[in-house]
Amino acid sequence: MAERYSSFEAGGRRWLWQRITAAFLVVVLAFHFFLLHFVNHADEVTFSMSQARMQELTYFSLMILFLLTATFHGVNGVYNALINQGLTGTRKTAVKLVLVVASAVVIVQGVRTALAWAGGVPL
Amino acid sequence: MSTQLPDQTEEESSAGEAEPTSAAQERRMAKKRERAAERDEERQAEEAEAALADEETYHLKVFRYDPEIEGKKEPRFDDFHVPYHKGMTVLDALMYARDTYDSSLTFRHSCRQAVCGSDAMFVNGSQRLCCKTQLSDLEEPVRIEPLPHAEVVKDLVVDMEHFYDQMEAVEPYFQTNDLPDGELEEQRQSRENREKVKMSTRCIWCGACMSSCNIAAGDNEYLGPAAINKAYRFTMDEREGEDMKQQRLEILEQEHGVWRCQTQFSCTEVCPKDIPLTEHIQELKREAVKNNLKFW
Amino acid sequence: MSQSYNRGLIEDFGRWREFSAGMWAWVFHKFTGWVLVGYLFTHIAVLSTALQSPDAYTTTIQSLESLLVVRILEVGLLSVAVFHILNGLRLLFVDLGVGLEAQDKSFYASLLLTGAIAVASVPTFLAGVFG
Repeated sequence: MAERYSSFEAGGRRWLWQRITAAFLVVVLAFHFFLLHFVNHADEVTFSMSQARMQELTYFSLMILFLLTATFHGVNGVYNALINQGLTGTRKTAVKLVLVVASAVVIVQGVRTALAWAGGVPL
Repeated sequence: MSTQLPDQTEEESSAGEAEPTSAAQERRMAKKRERAAERDEERQAEEAEAALADEETYHLKVFRYDPEIEGKKEPRFDDFHVPYHKGMTVLDALMYARDTYDSSLTFRHSCRQAVCGSDAMFVNGSQRLCCKTQLSDLEEPVRIEPLPHAEVVKDLVVDMEHFYDQMEAVEPYFQTNDLPDGELEEQRQSRENREKVKMSTRCIWCGACMSSCNIAAGDNEYLGPAAINKAYRFTMDEREGEDMKQQRLEILEQEHGVWRCQTQFSCTEVCPKDIPLTEHIQELKREAVKNNLKFW
Repeated sequence: MSQSYNRGLIEDFGRWREFSAGMWAWVFHKFTGWVLVGYLFTHIAVLSTALQSPDAYTTTIQSLESLLVVRILEVGLLSVAVFHILNGLRLLFVDLGVGLEAQDKSFYASLLLTGAIAVASVPTFLAGVFG
């Protein structure tokens, strides 16, 4: 059973990052929900309101970080759930590829949207 | 009871044929018959009483399967009603059923005192050691099935080879390169260290934990709680030395090692030896992380 | 070994009464996780209408928000997220080795708290949709 590490290597690293991103997300997701449903109301959202928020560098960077951590946490979670269910071999490699591509798509699209609001990086 | 009367008639007839009966003999025989009848009545009354008192029986529903017998190729549940006596365990009930009702009922058992680990089964929905489970603690009908997530060989017997494979994979034996200086010196272990590994040494290889783990069910390569606990027992043993610990951690740190545990806690709940399995696995995860951080 | 019988997974949901607290926690955490990941992708897709034009964005969001179904789904989303967060916190404690004796109680506590928060949020979430 002592095989070589896979290309996603020591499960320990992903395990640790899953926990670290979890702790971060607990706070930021709660904040995000609060801001967008209780402070502002979801049905009153307009482009300009989103734009106003995104033009602040702190908020902008927080949202980008939020996107990156949430994507990692979610996709890693899905990957682990599939391994637990017995995903192996070529299917596993195929799934890994799909997940990596999907994460890239989500991140790229999210960053582009943020930039559209902020009108470029709000330095 | 039933043997008495025919004997009597036999005696009578043979006696009658052997010699002519005198009146005295007739009277004696009549008296003998009376007394025998009385004794019969008494005995019947006693048995009826005993039967009423012993009325308590337990209803068992036992999983049956036998690929080699026509009628049992499709799994089914057989009903057994076993008379209950105080302190009866599930194993006692199964043995009674086998000895009295159906000698083809097949299951593993040995020590009947919770040290051999042979009779782990799925009783009323959870993994239990049959010799350690009191019938009185269970709701009727008592459903007895073979351990989940294992292939059934026959009736209540499952294939334990996979479990043993995972146990072997962690090198479940003491090994060290860290020998003391003097040739005749003992390898010492402090009391605290022994306390630390004490619970993990109690494993009887019954397989209940692995059977209860949903991850072990889905992921065939997962080492499983018993194997990881075994590895814990040696990894945490101070007599084994640093490089041996590294070697052991390497096995545990693989993708299908400690990381697959999702802290479901079922293993801890079902362990008949009360080993805090999840706790041990968690400790090993932390060890592995600390170990890896050292190299950054 | 000769043929042995593979019964498959014993825990089909018909036997849910036999599930332990830890097992429910694992099942729910997985389920809520999948829902949240699905939502993440949908959310980014909806938000990216901002790339088309400010009006496209505003109209999309506001017309979605005017549907009662969407509002109710949002309450569902909140419950799912809250449970995942609370149980996630429970798991973080377990990972740190704190409070392992109370692990099943903490699961029930997360369920209760999730229910409470979900119910409490309904007024805010459904505000204005019946107007």
